[in-house]
Amino acid sequence: MRHSVIYPFTAIVGQEDMKLALILNVINPSLGGVLIKGEKGTAKSTAVRALADLLPAMETVKDCKFHCDPQDNNQLCGICQESLASHNPLVVQTAKMRVVELPVNATEDRVVGTLDIEYAIKHGEKKFEPGILAQANRNILYVDEINLLDDHVVDVLLDAAAMGVNRVEREGVSYVHPARFVLVGTMNPEEGDIRPQLLDRFGLSVIVSGEHEPDKRVEVIKRRLAYEANPEKFLQLHQEEQERLAQQIIQARQRLSNVSIEDELLTLVAKIAISLEVDGHRADIAVIKTALTLAAFAGRITVTSNDIQEAARLALPHRMRRRPFEEGILDWKKVEALFGDQ
Amino acid sequence: MTAKTVFPFAAVVGQDQIKKALLIAVVNPKVGGVLIAGEKGAAKSTLVRGLSQVIPNRKLIELPLNATEDMVFGSMDMEQAVITGKRQFSHGILAKAHNHILYIDEVNLLQRELSNAILDVAASGIHVVEREGASNSYEAQFTMIGTMNPEEGDLPPQFLDRFGLYVTAAGEKNIKDRVEIVRRILAYEQNPIAFYQKYKRAGEDICQQIAAARKKAKEILISDAMVQLAAQISSQGNCAGHRAELFLLETAKAIAALAGRDELLPMDMQEAAAFVLPHRMRRPSEESKEQHSQKKQQHDQLEQDSFNEEQPQLPDEEQPNANESSQDRGEAPEGKSEGELEKGKRQEDTTIADLLPVGNMALNLQKRQVRQGSGKRTLAKTNTRQGRYVRSCIPTRPVTDLAFDATLRAAAPYQLTRAKSMCCINICREDLRQKVREKRIGTTFLFVVDASGSMGARQRMKAVKGAILSMLQDAYQKRDKVGMIAFRRQTAEILLPVTRSVELAEKSLQHLPTGGKTPLAEGLYTALGVLRTMCRLEKDIEPVMVLVTDGCANTGGRAGQDAVSEALQTALLIGETRVNSLVIDTEQDFIKLGIAVTISRALGGSYYKLDDLSAENIIHIVNGMK
Repeated sequence: MRHSVIYPFTAIVGQEDMKLALILNVINPSLGGVLIKGEKGTAKSTAVRALADLLPAMETVKDCKFHCDPQDNNQLCGICQESLASHNPLVVQTAKMRVVELPVNATEDRVVGTLDIEYAIKHGEKKFEPGILAQANRNILYVDEINLLDDHVVDVLLDAAAMGVNRVEREGVSYVHPARFVLVGTMNPEEGDIRPQLLDRFGLSVIVSGEHEPDKRVEVIKRRLAYEANPEKFLQLHQEEQERLAQQIIQARQRLSNVSIEDELLTLVAKIAISLEVDGHRADIAVIKTALTLAAFAGRITVTSNDIQEAARLALPHRMRRRPFEEGILDWKKVEALFGDQ
Repeated sequence: MTAKTVFPFAAVVGQDQIKKALLIAVVNPKVGGVLIAGEKGAAKSTLVRGLSQVIPNRKLIELPLNATEDMVFGSMDMEQAVITGKRQFSHGILAKAHNHILYIDEVNLLQRELSNAILDVAASGIHVVEREGASNSYEAQFTMIGTMNPEEGDLPPQFLDRFGLYVTAAGEKNIKDRVEIVRRILAYEQNPIAFYQKYKRAGEDICQQIAAARKKAKEILISDAMVQLAAQISSQGNCAGHRAELFLLETAKAIAALAGRDELLPMDMQEAAAFVLPHRMRRPSEESKEQHSQKKQQHDQLEQDSFNEEQPQLPDEEQPNANESSQDRGEAPEGKSEGELEKGKRQEDTTIADLLPVGNMALNLQKRQVRQGSGKRTLAKTNTRQGRYVRSCIPTRPVTDLAFDATLRAAAPYQLTRAKSMCCINICREDLRQKVREKRIGTTFLFVVDASGSMGARQRMKAVKGAILSMLQDAYQKRDKVGMIAFRRQTAEILLPVTRSVELAEKSLQHLPTGGKTPLAEGLYTALGVLRTMCRLEKDIEPVMVLVTDGCANTGGRAGQDAVSEALQTALLIGETRVNSLVIDTEQDFIKLGIAVTISRALGGSYYKLDDLSAENIIHIVNGMK
């Protein structure tokens, strides 16, 4: 059953890490998404939907299948670029950020897009029919049980997640379109591994578990019941909080480009990355971007050493795995020792 | 998505070897392209994509992994056919890449069928298309650049050999450089256009350097002495064929030209060798080992400095290149597994000591049959609608998975003569085409491990764990499923039901308790149950049972039979299923009972002694299983 009123984000009990990680990603979509590890029934999908609902509507080009941002000339799709080039101003409309779901059994055609068969038969011409990646542009791409995804679908995701572009050379159509999305994946680690390469594309990772304190468990149920009984009234109860958070996110977005970080902290992050022997540079980049976003969210314009610590906690654990089945344990002591040197 | 939004080539910090290799490849197309292998997040793709800004008169054509055959090689132009009724050929990616650069990201994940065909075209420079009732040929000479992360599996040797140059990528270890990298990325993301402007000059300089070097490279003459040196270097590297020499000379030419010289120097050859040899060197065969070590000494004296890296047999851990080359040929260097070499020192503290070489353990399961399942060990055609659509075919049975594009192309030329209703294209039954999909199928491994007291002698168990672990490591790469059964005291226990999580398998292996008697029959009986269920659930899989035991069955016997004969009977039952078995015998007493051999015969499987395993390569064993 779907309620017309979505469960309010601020009414979710606990799961602070997950909520924070999601918020950071909507403030700064270039963070690279969140991987949520944990059991079923821990409000993962509720939280994602609730957050998208909380956000203010964004500007998009009207009738554009990729919801291009009229303000960002660099990321326009081919059609929007053409109309700009022929001096047709882009018509702007507003739309809510959406949560686009990628089901585990999705076929590749559905994900990347394919030949529009109906059009081809009717008109004898080739036309590209956009897929899930097109829908996901500038939205949230939610992949439940991402570890069970077919390998070849993962390959596609890898590329799109890294480049923000979907390149299609299939079934008679050749097409390129922007595909920048906040990737949110969930997995239950007991059901199988996730490829290290895909793991590395995720900016942040969090672990969720059911609440264990009886009081909180009771609170979870109480709120759920209250919501089911009367969603509108329940939403009203949380309206104020919701608006406050929305404002906070908007302000953080504006502040983000002004946040600065001292060289000492940059060096600290490099030291952490080297001492933890992470692969490549995505770890450093993720930690620093997360720290900048954390500062912006907290209303500051300088990054503190606490921000770095918090960011490391969110951005590093899933990058610690070196061998396929080595447990990815973040040696926090190593990190703390480096902070101690500061 | 315009060129301006690509991270500039000139702004990449460090990675000088990769940059150099890329420059060489664009200066002299004859060097045969570049393969960049390395860990994730080390700017491999960034550099290649950035290259497009700095090369004069050339484009970077990208080949996405999921491209279908018709798009790669070209196909009939459907739109034209509908209008004119004529079969006109429209070019594919390879034709577009003619005289340009073809870039394949994650090249090791490309469908084998495609990669083989691409190789053929790359080798001949011309492609003849015979499809959809039309024949066509076009030129396709391109410089191929590939990037890959070896963690995800390796490239077949014939593909590897095709790339002229090979470089490995790793993250910067210098703190200052790391900081600078982050700083530049932040600046780039904040304002790509301004960032691009900032590095525009540097990019233009590189562009000019390339243009100048291209001219120069054409003028460079190769002296006989250099040819001799090339031959010498290649034979010392024990390279197959003569491609190495040619690539060496061409690469050296580009290096000299980039340095602004118009003649080749020995040092150019040395530098070239570092790019050209790593992936072609083979381990000399056992017989020629001595000879080789003599050669090696000579060689070391000859070229003391920069060649060390290419010596195939130096056990030094600083040599991922040498490792890669031998590993990709399916021969792991002595006593070292790929994992060990790659991860170097990190592994020293692992609790399991003897990791055995696995490398390219490819199970020779039957030819490509129609199968289900997911994984990477075998590439198979699938008849479910899962898997990657590779190409289309004329259906022999009722169409279950219609290939619309191919169907439309088949129907298009007849549209002028066919009666039309509402639609522009009228499709008849004979136009229908079926999709051919390819999917990687993993194998299911069931480990049946003897955990009795007789195995408990510490070293034995350690060796066993080592052997299993190395199989698990390989299983991970190939997306295999694994399960584990241990038997000790009176019972057999399913430690791990069949799962894709190799992680869990490793954990249960670590915590394997030992001690007690050997209920071999019970172990096999439990395995039989699991295997039967497995075969019933998934019709197309052929599970592999790996039985590790010393064969000293001394308890069990359900119906009062003696332990050994009961075990044999159960083994016979397993032998009747379509399970492939592998018995690893751990018996080491002076007087051998040889029960494990008998069991393995009953299973109809292959038999190995643990002691042989440590010396021999598991690859051959598993290959030999069929």
